[in-house]
Amino acid sequence: MADAVTQAKWDRLAPRFDTMASKGAEKRWAPFKSALFSEMEGKVLFLALGTGLDIPHFPKGLNITALDISPVMIEHAQERIAEYDGTIETHVMDVHDMPFEDDSFDMVVTSCTFCSVPRPIEGLKALHRVLKPGGKLLMFEHTGSRWYPFRYMMNLMTLITRKLGPDMNRPTVNNVRAAGYRVTEVRNVFLDVVKTIKAVKEPA
Amino acid sequence: MDHRFEYVIGDLIANVVLGGIVGLLCWLIVGPSWNMWIAMFLMMAIGSIIGLVGFFVTARWLGAMESMVPLMFTGELTGMVVGMAVPMIQPFSAMQSLIWGLVCGAASIVIIWIANSLLRGVTRDGKEARNG
Repeated sequence: MADAVTQAKWDRLAPRFDTMASKGAEKRWAPFKSALFSEMEGKVLFLALGTGLDIPHFPKGLNITALDISPVMIEHAQERIAEYDGTIETHVMDVHDMPFEDDSFDMVVTSCTFCSVPRPIEGLKALHRVLKPGGKLLMFEHTGSRWYPFRYMMNLMTLITRKLGPDMNRPTVNNVRAAGYRVTEVRNVFLDVVKTIKAVKEPA
Repeated sequence: MDHRFEYVIGDLIANVVLGGIVGLLCWLIVGPSWNMWIAMFLMMAIGSIIGLVGFFVTARWLGAMESMVPLMFTGELTGMVVGMAVPMIQPFSAMQSLIWGLVCGAASIVIIWIANSLLRGVTRDGKEARNG
């Protein structure tokens, strides 16, 4: 059962989401997202689809299972899903409560997701469960910073943004490690607050 | 720094303008008899908040973090420098506050560009603060 508070928050935001995110941030991040998502292959689980802003960066011809906690977000993504040259199967689902079999995906991909998942380490552990041994986790995320004054700014911003949507100060790389993955690469895109993270699920 | 021309120019203009605005605000708010430390800390806080407001204005063109972090930094630095200058240097005119603010804005974005050049790219261990 989806977390009702989180679902309601993103349902409310969905109609305005493209206005907020599709211009500046998406254009600025486009080359980095395209480079990261070009590595998508095999059976892919994508979290969280939102209004589908990431879909234009997906390689063609993939069979992607995409989740989002918000049904309204997925409604807004339909046009971009229809334009994709491949298959995107959508599910309204909470990452904490996925019904998929263990070891069922070759790759898990996230995009600005773990700034918002309420229990991030548990969410990453849930993804770890459904990822095949040796499978890859690819993430494009914004996080907190190690460095003053950026760290203080991200903490201050989180006081405001948490009520509207995401946190700005999550230690996502630490969370990935805490969830049992082996981190293979962290690439800072802007300072140390926007980054791509690559990790693998070690074979048992 | 982002090497795309539109972002270099956009970031520079946004931060210089915000620096000018915060500089003028310092002149309007801080009186010549104020304790310089109180003026500095107050204007740093107000400058950060003005930076946040600036972020909501520019995010549509300049992006999310790439817009928010420099503008808050500019607001904070300008508030600190001009907020201290008003009680320390007398008389300190509105024009001086504006010019100092513009310079602080330019200096801030250059500092961000340098920090970004040092931090961006593949990191050895991806170390992060433990909690925010």
